[in-house]
Amino acid sequence: MLVRDGRIVADPWTLVEEEPARPGLIAPFDAWKRSPEGAGAWVDGDRAVEELVPEILEAPVVAVRFAAFADGRGLTLGALLRGRYGFRGELRAFGDVLADLTEYMHRSGFNAFVLPDRRQAEVAIACMARMSDHYQGSVREPLPAFRRVALGP
Amino acid sequence: MYQYSAFDQRFVEERVEQYRDQTRRFLSGELSDDAFQQLRLRNGLYIQRLAPMLRIAVPYGLLSATQLRAIAAITRDYDRGYGHLSTRQNVQINWPELTDVPDILERLAEVQMHCIQTSGSCIRNVTTDQFAGVAEDEIVDARPYCEIIRQWSTYHPEFDWLPRKFKIAVNGAESDRAATHVHDIGIRVRRGDDGAPLFDFLVGGGLGRTPVIGSLIREGLPEEHLLSYLEAILRVYNRYGRRDNKYKARIKILVRAMTPETFRERVDAEWAHLKDGPSTLPATEVRRIRACFAPPAYEDLADQPALLARQRLQDPAFNTWMRHNVAPHKRAGYAVVTLSTKATGVPPGDVTDEQMDAVADWSERFGFGEVRISHEQNLVLPDVPQRDLRTLFDLAREAMLGQANAGLLTDMICCPGGDFCALANAKSIPVAEAIQRRFDDYDYLHDLGPLDINISGCMNACGHHHVGHIGILGVDKRGEEFYQISVGGNQAEDASLGRILGPSFGRAEVPDVVEKILDVYLERRFEGEAFLHTVRRIGIEPFKERVYSAENGRPRSSTQAVTRLSARDTQPRAARSARAG
Repeated sequence: MLVRDGRIVADPWTLVEEEPARPGLIAPFDAWKRSPEGAGAWVDGDRAVEELVPEILEAPVVAVRFAAFADGRGLTLGALLRGRYGFRGELRAFGDVLADLTEYMHRSGFNAFVLPDRRQAEVAIACMARMSDHYQGSVREPLPAFRRVALGP
Repeated sequence: MYQYSAFDQRFVEERVEQYRDQTRRFLSGELSDDAFQQLRLRNGLYIQRLAPMLRIAVPYGLLSATQLRAIAAITRDYDRGYGHLSTRQNVQINWPELTDVPDILERLAEVQMHCIQTSGSCIRNVTTDQFAGVAEDEIVDARPYCEIIRQWSTYHPEFDWLPRKFKIAVNGAESDRAATHVHDIGIRVRRGDDGAPLFDFLVGGGLGRTPVIGSLIREGLPEEHLLSYLEAILRVYNRYGRRDNKYKARIKILVRAMTPETFRERVDAEWAHLKDGPSTLPATEVRRIRACFAPPAYEDLADQPALLARQRLQDPAFNTWMRHNVAPHKRAGYAVVTLSTKATGVPPGDVTDEQMDAVADWSERFGFGEVRISHEQNLVLPDVPQRDLRTLFDLAREAMLGQANAGLLTDMICCPGGDFCALANAKSIPVAEAIQRRFDDYDYLHDLGPLDINISGCMNACGHHHVGHIGILGVDKRGEEFYQISVGGNQAEDASLGRILGPSFGRAEVPDVVEKILDVYLERRFEGEAFLHTVRRIGIEPFKERVYSAENGRPRSSTQAVTRLSARDTQPRAARSARAG
């Protein structure tokens, strides 16, 4: 079940493990690089961003696989792709995506999340809206609270 | 001390509601054990051998009287009327019901407290010198920087799911009372020629099964770059730290594998992108936080040498307490008092609700309502007028908090060990108690002088045994508990790791071995030479020889000691000890 930009939506893409990239497919990055036309790319969360840029910035969708929900490398990869390298397409999290952790992903630049079912998709949407603000800056809100909010004592 | 802004208050309240929802979804079967485990850990809740344990964050060990009373009340209402001071300056409670935890968190939020990030693979409670703000040898008050780091590290979008736990300590005094050499990041604050604070970064120190002294990777960083530089370190660690083996996942392993030089280059390359970015600390923000730590309304008092000399002469007990538990204050007429939790027969760091209430009262009567927790698991009253020391001593003694042993042998650091901790190989509290019983002769103790004995029940080293002057480590040998002894460790500014003497000993032998080590010291020391310095001068050989010598046989295995220990193990108090983890 896909949540994109805060809503449950039908997924126009099909993610494939091996096959060569074709329009409408999200293919492994190396396959995508050979025939990027109309296709998206996926990478593992531990992939070095330096091996992906600048080519990957042209993909309409980049999907990052979280091998384990508690593996935070995908967060840094997302933050670098979106923040440092200015990726503008859909940044999608898939794999072991825990609804409660989508908020971290969202703040690190992801805007799409593949959840196991509708219920978890709804929980994820709620989780992303639960905390009204945060201390430090992020890709989503680059300014830390101390630069935005009159904090007072 | 720091007062929550409306922003802080809303944050912790929303976090409580978030956790309440997570607990509800776990109980309804919607969240798996694995998922809920990680979520509860980030709210300080462990589930171990016998029951849950909730670790309450005490940011940099600083508490108000109100907060301490709230903890006391929580231990009464939800627990068994006592808490445990941890070596990371936090408070642990031992028997909360899983279903009560959201309510406990709500009670904590009412007094500006929480359990956020007190466990799990994330940035933990930032620690500092328990005398910060009042120490005579202070260069820069580290507390405002700790608070700035606390806010920055709370619920960080990128660094809450690290390879392993991550501990930061900040020290701003001449003496290093924050153990900065053995933290994932140790920060030392000093002043530049123009008086502006400068930050030195030690990275990759740590204890556990691979003890390492941290490497200095950056000197003299100006204040405005504090957070962006921390971000650079954390980002390098999050990307490259090992995740395939939890025993090799701490940053110390990464720094060692990369070499400190390469690690520094990676950090610098990352920092080049972050430097002068949005995380740059404006002077106005530092001023805002620093204002919360402004000195309290001290009276204009004079030092009281004559009064104290008279009182000390009248009562030798008061005299020794003054010598060991009372430290100089930077204001004339005041003193800093350490209330030792290390009474014989009580697990080190355990404090009852009545004791907490009493300390809260004293902090108001003899100070400004502020209490500290030290990483030696003691309580500190930071602003006691010298004229009141005698009265405080009497009250403390009556409450079993007046042991005159701060910094001495019986003031041991000790993890909860195998009585409770699921990780432990061996018990640690009964060992501490056996040593306390063996050495309860105060004259002997005071003659020995400063001596840190640190005890860990396993190589995860929660009792910091590597940096004990004498370190004791519980090991498991074919299902039996044994103890490995090391000497020469030190946690202060000239930090060093202890060296293991040799094969391990049975539990009942440990007090004898300690006694032999001390005999060697007493025979070989120069006048006024501390234990650590004697070890450094003569090496470990003489100690080794004595504890393993054939002439003395293996240390006598006293049947009496065994009996006493077994009896002790069945006492309820032993079963009430906390866990670390």
